[in-house]
Amino acid sequence: MDNKNNNIILSIQDVEKSFPGVKALDQVSIEIERGEVHGLVGENGAGKSTLMKILSGVLKKDAGTIIFDGAVVHHTSPVESQRMGMSIIYQELNLVHTMSVGENVFLGRFKEMGGMRGTHTKAKTLLDSIGANLDTYQLVDELSVSEKQMVEIAKALSFESKLIIMDEPSSSLTQDEMDKLIAVIKQLKEKGITIIYISHKLDEIFELCNRVTIMRDGHVIDTQLTTDITRNEMIAKMVGRTIENEFPERPKCDGEVLLEVKSLNTHKLKNVSFELRKGEILGFVGLVGAGRTEIVRAIFGADQVKGHEILIDGKVVKIKNPKDAMNAGLALVTEDRKQQGLVLSFTVEKNVSMASLDRLSKFGILNKSKEKDMAQRQVKGLNVKTPTILTKVSSLSGGNQQKVVLGGWLETGPRVLILDEPTRGIDVGAKYEIYLLMKEIAESGGAIILISSELPEVLNMSNRVLTVYEGRITGEFDPLKTTPDHIMRNALGMGEEEQNNDQAN
Amino acid sequence: MDKMNVKKILSVITNQRAVLAIVITLIVVAFNNNNFFTIYNMKTMLTTSSIYLIIGFGATIVLVAGGVDLSIGFNMSVSGVLAVYLMNNNVPISLAVLCALIFGGIVGAINGYIVVYQKTEPFIITLGMGISLLGLGRLITNARPIVAENKAFLNISNGMIFGERLNLIYFTIIMFAVVHYILRYTSFGRNLYAIGGDYEVAEYSGINVRANKFYAFVLSGVIAALGGVLLASKFGTGNANYGLTTGFVIYSAVVVGGTSFAGGIGSVPRSAIGLIFVYGVLQNAMNMLRVNSYTQMVMTGIIIATVIALDSYSRKRIREKV
Amino acid sequence: MTRQIRLGSVFNTLLKEYTIVIGIMVLVLITSIVEPRFMTSGNMINIMRQFGPLILVALGMTFVILAGFIDLSVTGQLFLVAVIVMKLIDPIGQIPAMLVGVAFGGLFGYFNSKVIIFSGALTQAEALFITYGLSTAYIGIGQMISNGKTMNMSIDLTSSYSMFQYVGLGFIGPFSISFVIFLVAIVILYFFQSKTYMGRSVMLTGGNKTAARIAGIPIYRSITIVYMICGIMTAIGAIVFMSRATTVTSAMSIGLETDVILAVVLGGTYLGGGRGSVLRTIIGALIVILISNCMNLLGITIFWQDITRGAILIIAIWLDAQKNN
Repeated sequence: MDNKNNNIILSIQDVEKSFPGVKALDQVSIEIERGEVHGLVGENGAGKSTLMKILSGVLKKDAGTIIFDGAVVHHTSPVESQRMGMSIIYQELNLVHTMSVGENVFLGRFKEMGGMRGTHTKAKTLLDSIGANLDTYQLVDELSVSEKQMVEIAKALSFESKLIIMDEPSSSLTQDEMDKLIAVIKQLKEKGITIIYISHKLDEIFELCNRVTIMRDGHVIDTQLTTDITRNEMIAKMVGRTIENEFPERPKCDGEVLLEVKSLNTHKLKNVSFELRKGEILGFVGLVGAGRTEIVRAIFGADQVKGHEILIDGKVVKIKNPKDAMNAGLALVTEDRKQQGLVLSFTVEKNVSMASLDRLSKFGILNKSKEKDMAQRQVKGLNVKTPTILTKVSSLSGGNQQKVVLGGWLETGPRVLILDEPTRGIDVGAKYEIYLLMKEIAESGGAIILISSELPEVLNMSNRVLTVYEGRITGEFDPLKTTPDHIMRNALGMGEEEQNNDQAN
Repeated sequence: MDKMNVKKILSVITNQRAVLAIVITLIVVAFNNNNFFTIYNMKTMLTTSSIYLIIGFGATIVLVAGGVDLSIGFNMSVSGVLAVYLMNNNVPISLAVLCALIFGGIVGAINGYIVVYQKTEPFIITLGMGISLLGLGRLITNARPIVAENKAFLNISNGMIFGERLNLIYFTIIMFAVVHYILRYTSFGRNLYAIGGDYEVAEYSGINVRANKFYAFVLSGVIAALGGVLLASKFGTGNANYGLTTGFVIYSAVVVGGTSFAGGIGSVPRSAIGLIFVYGVLQNAMNMLRVNSYTQMVMTGIIIATVIALDSYSRKRIREKV
Repeated sequence: MTRQIRLGSVFNTLLKEYTIVIGIMVLVLITSIVEPRFMTSGNMINIMRQFGPLILVALGMTFVILAGFIDLSVTGQLFLVAVIVMKLIDPIGQIPAMLVGVAFGGLFGYFNSKVIIFSGALTQAEALFITYGLSTAYIGIGQMISNGKTMNMSIDLTSSYSMFQYVGLGFIGPFSISFVIFLVAIVILYFFQSKTYMGRSVMLTGGNKTAARIAGIPIYRSITIVYMICGIMTAIGAIVFMSRATTVTSAMSIGLETDVILAVVLGGTYLGGGRGSVLRTIIGALIVILISNCMNLLGITIFWQDITRGAILIIAIWLDAQKNN
């Protein structure tokens, strides 16, 4: 018993965490053995990031116990957890870009390191020890992503960490850089440092990890030795089975082409082309940061583009800003409703009318009674739970806020409704209502582009699915005729490799 | 190694819009006036800009940490007034100067407390502080310049060492070294860069972001008061109206030097070049070219607006990178 | 029990929300008790007079702040417009001179906004410095035109200057002309703010620029319009001011920008943008005037008044920040 306990460096027991309307972690228990590389996989929204934030002390857990290196961990700050010997390397790297490499390694600890000179010498030693040949006086801003990662690793080592958690370290690395990172991780492992490795890239999991934990919907589904599980089993467990009644029956679609996008290019997107038919719900599947949001923002004229052509009903339309897009019959429900969708300090009424303001006015004068009618119509039609239309939207729940955004766009009478993560942070009831609404719009001849990190949602609502990976469209699928695993593989950029395998067979 | 250094120097120069501005001004003046490039004129230029350089070094400390203190102009004038007032009431010079410096620190501390601990936007807060200080200064002096009765006081700025009246330049060099050392080599200074560069990362890294930023305001206040004492000593008078435009112009000059409003970027040498350009070269060049004071005012205004506009324009370009 | 707590917290928020207003009420009360002159009709007329330029500019500034920006150039604009109008009286006559002055106000505002939009200065801090620089430039231009001298308007009831005299001293019924101008302005501006498309666009721009842009709101046009309104209102303020003072010097507008910002903030318009109203600014301006009126009557020196004004500005923003944190 003692021996076993001593072998466990981190024990997570029944940890729970809820956000308003969502249970992010439900009775999560994982044991990490000393000296292993432990993989953690799951779809976006499975709860991995929440768990990491709790471990690092950024978030507070609602219930459960965390034991690290034999001691119970109470709520800490990121610094405290680092000083205990547990470091996290985030996806968005935590470096001050305007400062030098050396200073970033010892940020906030210059004095302990014996001033500037000590800081740089010690940073150099640390970086050399992981084979990163960097000038410690260089600004972090001038480094490549992989070099920044090396700085983060050196920073983690500087705390003499016993456990390093890496959150998708490879998401923006080239193959060469990845090989270097793998070498460093193996080296750390030899030094006896435990690593939790979070990634979507299953190849890496199999190459690096001894064991792997699969999470889904805030639950731990399974923990296995990587030698005991196949890639397909792993994907099946990540995707899971869907509950039948969670989604309404999808509408049938056999209309003509409504929207056509040709060779859309931005600094992030490469040659994106697709078409959308009347009555169709088109799903985009891809990782966060793969370029899904960038595609719809570019179409909507919200970001600058390098060149593209958009046709509606076969006719070319020029879209330079959101207003042009609206005139062309597009509507965009953005992914971040608080930052980009709502004016939080304004009333429900004013938020609903925001996108239709020009139609509500004649000779520049607002028709207030029409505005009121509009708000009341949408509050009633979408079943928004608000005391009155004069309530501030900031006091509504997430689901009702989202309905306010939707209501505002519906009033513009869009022909193409673009929904970016429409159900994020929303309770189940409101989700279903939004699904029904999507169905209704599609059936009445509109078309919908749906972006969602929740795979079941996209697969069950869409007539057709496009996978996006690193700014490109990597595949087109009929969700009724394709398995979720297959679509997921394409979204992870593994589609081509699979084709090769098929051919080999 | 030589190659590395050349590269570094080149990148420093390309980053230095102020250097470019100075060179252009110098060329324009050189064609129009023969007296510009005399040693005497160089000395005049440095002496007139010295006090603003010193205060600008203090402003750099706050700006690097991502803050702004627009009250430094009036902090300067009132501290000078206070020193003269105390001396005229038989307080010994050293004690009077000390009181003035403490006063400057207190003003900085009040600004710092309200901005840092109460989480307010620094601009209007410090603007309000400036008005209060102006009122205080006029109250003490009855809105008239007060003359220092103890003439020994004048020696601080005008005294002779090594046979020349260059005290102000020595003070500037000392303050340059001190503030540069603080920002470049102490952990306090480096923490300020971290705070200005990325407040959250700095906080996560265990830096006491609030206390550090607060002390930046205090330090800047003390340095502004030092500038005020030197200014009062230079003219032998305390005048509440000295600082009317100082706050804005100094901060603009610091931004000319390449310290950004975004925080986390900048250094004392850079600020020095910006300040020398605005307070020394430009001012002097306009005098040499007999530009009348109103045209000078227009020029100053346009320069401030242009500098800040260009600073935000460069950031806009980064934001919209396609 | 819960009701008691609620009552307590309601009282607390009331106290917090109106700390300054309550403080000033106390000041007014003390003044009216200590100083019988306060309640005289002469003093009331005096207060009404002071209402003129300050509130006119403050109404304009309210829009700039509602859109999330700030305009320190009102100081320079007020002086420069006054100089221009003064210069034009003889060549083109009084009323054309006034109209040209107002047009110049709009032009300056337009120019300010273009500089801000071009440079992408989307924060209040950047706008603050840019408009300060422009203000200095405007004052300099004004000084160049006037040669740095005080410009005088000879007052003679029968002379060509009677139009200015009318604006400065005239009455319609019980109201001074400047008060009437104020009433007309407030009606138009309130209508603009609450009933028009562009007025709403301004509010949305101040509330959340990103969301407003996605929803097709013309945020750049909103920025231009608020600066133009501010410029026009400042120009009208300049005309009222010079009519009354009959002289124009650069000293006329010193400290104007802080008084104006103080009026807007004391009225309860949120400095960050999106929340507030021109109606609130009336109260704010009234408070600013009452403060100086009471302190004048109580024999408090101008110096102490400056100190107090700065302190009130700091406290007002501080309390506002606490409310929003």
